[in-house]
Amino acid sequence: MKVGYLCTFTPKEIIYSAGFQPFRVFATERPIELASAYIQSYSCSQARGALECALKDDFYAFVFTRCCDTLMRLTDIFEFAGKRVYNIEFPTKIGNVEYYLRELKDFVEVLRDWGGEVSFESLVESLKLYRELEEGLKQLFSVFPDYETAIKVQQIDVKDAIKLVDEKLKSAKKEKESPKVLITGSVCPYPKIYDLFREAGFSIKDDLCTGSRFFEYIYPTFEPEDLEGALRFIAEKYFYKSPCPTKHYESDRRFEYVIKLAEDCDAVVFLLVKFCEPHFFDYPQLKSELEKMGKKVALIELEFPVVSTEQIRTRIEALREVIL
Amino acid sequence: MRELMASYYMQGHQAECNAWITSGAPVELLYAMDIYPIYPENHGALIGATKLGSYYSDFSERNGFSRDLCSYARCDIGCVFAGTSPIGGLPKPTFLFACNNICNTVVKWYEVLSRIFKVPLFILDTPFIRKELKESHLRYVEEQLYDFIKFAERITGRELEDQKLKEVIARSVEGVGLYAHCLQSARNKPSPMNCFDAFVNMAPIVCLRGTDHAIQFYVGLKKELDDRIKQGISAVDNEEIRLLWDNIPVWYRLRWLGEFFENRNACLVADTYTNAWTGFGELKGNDILSSMAEVYTLSYLNIGMDRTAEIINHLIELYDVDGVVMHSNRSCKPYSFGQYEIQKKLSVPSVIIEADMVDERVFSEAQVVTRLEAFLEML
Repeated sequence: MKVGYLCTFTPKEIIYSAGFQPFRVFATERPIELASAYIQSYSCSQARGALECALKDDFYAFVFTRCCDTLMRLTDIFEFAGKRVYNIEFPTKIGNVEYYLRELKDFVEVLRDWGGEVSFESLVESLKLYRELEEGLKQLFSVFPDYETAIKVQQIDVKDAIKLVDEKLKSAKKEKESPKVLITGSVCPYPKIYDLFREAGFSIKDDLCTGSRFFEYIYPTFEPEDLEGALRFIAEKYFYKSPCPTKHYESDRRFEYVIKLAEDCDAVVFLLVKFCEPHFFDYPQLKSELEKMGKKVALIELEFPVVSTEQIRTRIEALREVIL
Repeated sequence: MRELMASYYMQGHQAECNAWITSGAPVELLYAMDIYPIYPENHGALIGATKLGSYYSDFSERNGFSRDLCSYARCDIGCVFAGTSPIGGLPKPTFLFACNNICNTVVKWYEVLSRIFKVPLFILDTPFIRKELKESHLRYVEEQLYDFIKFAERITGRELEDQKLKEVIARSVEGVGLYAHCLQSARNKPSPMNCFDAFVNMAPIVCLRGTDHAIQFYVGLKKELDDRIKQGISAVDNEEIRLLWDNIPVWYRLRWLGEFFENRNACLVADTYTNAWTGFGELKGNDILSSMAEVYTLSYLNIGMDRTAEIINHLIELYDVDGVVMHSNRSCKPYSFGQYEIQKKLSVPSVIIEADMVDERVFSEAQVVTRLEAFLEML
């Protein structure tokens, strides 16, 4: 049974270990029709697109984690639309593992109520599988950033996902190195958009929820010995995943992270979904820091489904010409 | 009122140390440590009321901040770039104190300020209470309150004294009680005040909560309202329809909206926005931090929509209103998203108008008039 989720901070390992199929919900090519009756047009199209999917497709439940204000309200809206939902209160301020551990314990109880039992063994197995997937994706992306695969693996069984990544890795051809663009933003579930960058002559690196933010983690160094230990492992794993603008970090860890990623890039593109407050608040100051490093920076604003790729192509080609 | 707030802003410039603080943060801790609180949101409202929202927002937009961001934030950051504002700008902060019990926008907004001013920022992270308030949530917030005290003591070199905090809490509770009494005078028929009066008179409960100034102000207001009731003076001459306003005001159209409703014998007797501050009256004088954690975590915008609908229905009953006017506010997603569903749960008819609290560029007068007129006719 599919359990939908939207945010990369969702502990999908726990959902999987309870016998459910974690399924990341994205906007699709479908026009947004039903969702407009539930949420205003000034919500981002990722939220509206995901709601559209929820209203049309078959899911057992949806799991939300606290991130932006829109998703915070979307949980209730999903529930009012007749969906089974649960909201995990992932802290906005990264730091207090003990607090988040208590939230995860509560989540295990919720899954039990939904008919899914989480045991130490099943959770450790799930952790192992997801780590294998994440490391496989890391390897694949170091050869060739394959967004179609990165998006697909979030919607299939993790064992099939591992196999798919393995196959892709075998046939992947090394992407040429230069000029390189860093694409930063939240989600972009349309592989054709990444192709536009390649067609303009760029090689790609990313800081996206539909790319590296799905698989970049710093794993805790301890081996879990019981269920609580495994939950603690997950709490720490997600606290130290690639940073996201919806979270508050000591010492501006998010800016440092993006700046470091940009070091070997010739340009940076902010690929932002219209109305995405967390990213748009960061944009001017982060742009300024990147420009101080000598990087060329462009902003491309997206709405889903993407109607005109040609406009985006023009922007990307213009950026390419500036670099030449 | 004008003098009181002018003096509030002036003292901010003279204060030895100050903190910029969000409207839902526990200001009592600052007053107890003689740290002067500065409210960028109040400043944003003031800019909106002076119809300069787009002017100051433009300074932010020219610096790359999107027009889709919260207009309070855009105006506040815009004033920093402009180096001035209708009141000559806000004093530079000693530190920043943001609590996300009203939105996560303030976290991003204050991060921006922290980078501009290069001053420390403390985020008080309150879990969103969609259903039940858990013990673990309270413990999490309470621990942070202790962290905040250490943080503020380290920066200012001042120590928080228990006795002083108790005195501030007592004044805060007294002020909120008087304020709530003033709002509830609108239960009278006809109402001696409308929500536009409440909006104009809310600044002291936001900015001066915990001081004698707020108490004195609401003692005066209470007397005036009690007198108006005795003399039969009403906010709207022929009050026929009683309404409730939902969301932050459209600051640049207060007078226009006031006249629109008055001309149609309709009185917006109450609103969800100003009523949100009445919840802070639940603070307890003993076990202060634990009580503070609970009261500030359960703020009006930090709860699930079931509970929000319950509160609105309670206000509908309390003020005996015939309908609800909901402002779908482009700048405030946590306040606005969910309104379509809340509407279905209300015990009286409602209408939604689209606008923005400060940015007058998105206000479409003809559209608002059409919607409101149709709604009033239906009532």
